[in-house]
Amino acid sequence: MSKNEPINLKQDRRQWLKASATVLGASLLPLPAVAAKASQSEAPPAKAQSKPAGGKTVAPFFTPAQYALVEELSETIIPADSHSGGAKAAKVADYIEQELRESTDDSRKSTWHEGLRLVDLMSQHYHGKSFVDSSSEERIAVLTVLSDNDQMTDLPEVRFFRELKHLTVRGYYTSKIGIHNELEYKGNRLLLEFVGCDDPAPKSS
Amino acid sequence: MAESEIDLNKTYDAVVVGSGAAGGMAAHVLTSRGLQVLMLEAGKKLPIEQELRSMEWPYNNPHRGELPPDRHALTFNEYTIRNPPYGPGFEKSKHLHSYIGSSDYVKNIVVDERENPFTGTNYAWVRARCLGGKTNIWGRLALRLSDYDFKAKSRDGFGEDWPISYSDLAPYYDKVDLYLGITGVKENLPHLPDSIFQRPTRLNCAEVTLKQSLQKMGRVLTPYRAGVTTDGLKHNKYRSRCWGRGACERKGGCDIHAAFDSPTGLIYPAADTGNLTLRTNAVVREVTVDPQTGKASGVHFIDSQTMKDYTVRGKVVIVAASTLESARLLLLSKSRLYPNGLANSSGHVGHNFCEHIMGPGVTGQVQNLVGKPSTLDDGRPGGFYLTRFRNLTEKHPKFIRGYGFEGGSGARMFPQGTDAHGFGASFKEEVRQNQGSYIGMGAFGEVLARYENYVDLDPVVKDKWGIPALRFHYKFGDNEHRMAEDMKETAQEMFEAAGFKITHVSNRVLTEGWSIHELGTARMGNDPKTSVLNQFQQSHDVKNLFVVDGSAFVNASCQNPTWTIMALCWRSCDYLADEFGKGNL
Repeated sequence: MSKNEPINLKQDRRQWLKASATVLGASLLPLPAVAAKASQSEAPPAKAQSKPAGGKTVAPFFTPAQYALVEELSETIIPADSHSGGAKAAKVADYIEQELRESTDDSRKSTWHEGLRLVDLMSQHYHGKSFVDSSSEERIAVLTVLSDNDQMTDLPEVRFFRELKHLTVRGYYTSKIGIHNELEYKGNRLLLEFVGCDDPAPKSS
Repeated sequence: MAESEIDLNKTYDAVVVGSGAAGGMAAHVLTSRGLQVLMLEAGKKLPIEQELRSMEWPYNNPHRGELPPDRHALTFNEYTIRNPPYGPGFEKSKHLHSYIGSSDYVKNIVVDERENPFTGTNYAWVRARCLGGKTNIWGRLALRLSDYDFKAKSRDGFGEDWPISYSDLAPYYDKVDLYLGITGVKENLPHLPDSIFQRPTRLNCAEVTLKQSLQKMGRVLTPYRAGVTTDGLKHNKYRSRCWGRGACERKGGCDIHAAFDSPTGLIYPAADTGNLTLRTNAVVREVTVDPQTGKASGVHFIDSQTMKDYTVRGKVVIVAASTLESARLLLLSKSRLYPNGLANSSGHVGHNFCEHIMGPGVTGQVQNLVGKPSTLDDGRPGGFYLTRFRNLTEKHPKFIRGYGFEGGSGARMFPQGTDAHGFGASFKEEVRQNQGSYIGMGAFGEVLARYENYVDLDPVVKDKWGIPALRFHYKFGDNEHRMAEDMKETAQEMFEAAGFKITHVSNRVLTEGWSIHELGTARMGNDPKTSVLNQFQQSHDVKNLFVVDGSAFVNASCQNPTWTIMALCWRSCDYLADEFGKGNL
């Protein structure tokens, strides 16, 4: 894919959807039951399995493969850099997993299942390999297609990208790494007096 | 606080319905004057410090400070596309809240919309049924009204003048300042009188830039005048001074009670006099009347948990249930003597409903703050207040009355600018570099008090306790929409003049009710034919009935109402105690 010309997502998607027509039938409707069954046969990611207040173990929302994909996607949205850790270090995928596992919004859940599948189709189409197996440049290239077309909210992969970015941002900037390491937030502590700017000190009555 | 059990065989000197700013103030004044007061609150007494948890980090909260998944708070979009009663369409949420209930720290303070339905026109009606009501989570901006407001009709011909002047209320504003604590800076403005301020909070650099630019335009920006004690209060053991922790930004309340709330500021000290009896979970459904004398005799209430019905007696009944609930209660209190509801011979109960319009505003960036090291900008009760400048000395051609702006700038716990386009390393760096450079403000403008804007009782829909629901007939009018246009334009002009890069302009007018400043449904006045209450918030019709909350306002002004509610209530309860002592009630 060319770096200079913006991708026409609506035109391109016909190709990558067609290329995967054979697998479409099987996975277009990623039923939660299917996901749950799959997760039982494989070892679920340790963090994604948590116990709700009732003490009952709840099936994770993501399969281990999906979880790994979410980790890499979130890290591509907010990567580690020389300043601080990224989404992976901040365990954003755990936050997203919990959000979706507890969500009562079925259309949001299917946006995620469908979106993860479409992102991998895109990766196969553009680079001949899955997103997780791609280099970071290749990952950035795939998400750039979605980001550059992020107003096309009629497309499920675009809706997914916006959700991915929203939850990654939310999860990251409410994490320890996001608040303390990345933003170096100074508040939420006892303060004798707020230090303002060099305005002549306001007088009390 | 010392609590005593309700005595159903006793006739209390005063029965106070509601425990918010008004009910709390009534309890404070009357118990200190020696009256035996029974306070009834519809909601629970919450373990409020455990609810608010002002210093909890988001990563230590199960949902990062947001609502648990079985709850939903209505959004602007939902208020726009749906109609009351809000509930259908949200079956998957066990609890449904008004928009303000969108945080884990507020969820038990605000009511469940399904238990408390209302009908009619769209309205973001925020109700807090718990001890202290909305004062547990209020925005803290504590402003005085002036004769520009009390005598607004004399200035522009619209509506009615108040039956009082600023000079009548000024001594009571002073009392409220000293008893509860307020921070701010003196500005000597005729339209926004100064309070007796404690230690002021400082402006940060972007705010100073805006202030200095506004000075050239003759406009005044002042540090947030907050109903927060910055020096502490020697006479109140329940409240701490402000420690600049900054959690007030989080749509929550103050768990050390530096910000005023009714329980620690008024009710607990009132209880310590030994003259207060508090009954929570008491949903008052009617003010009872003695058919012989025509006077109020007490109230009927339902225990919110057991559904059992009770009757209590009082020599005086004080309604302080919040503007709309107080109107509802008066309308519910129909009898052979008062077929239109109590205190309603004028037909004005529920009418002249007014508030503040909000929504228009602007966000900008101060370029020379981009990329600067992180600073502490939210360690204070608020940012700034930009005072009214319309229709003071010159007459605006398109609308009457005025508006002010609330705003602030600088770094916050959750950064601004994350809605920027893109992702990846550059996005991350941009958010970090920009975080301290933002400044924003939003307007609050006067909604005219018009007879046609009103509430009445729905003939069919009832709440969880079988009490008829309110029905809204309320819309912003042309004056408000023209004012909103002006808000948007002046906001941009002022930011441009200050040299800020404008990043967002908000044009949308938020749903009616959004300001949580509803007022006027039982207005005061000298003429019993066009007003419900006299200047002491005493019913023209029933002399031992007082309505001491925001419903008594004659107009909304553009200033936030809580401080005025309390000053008026103090004045009225002083009068009440005098009259009570003389046997005139």
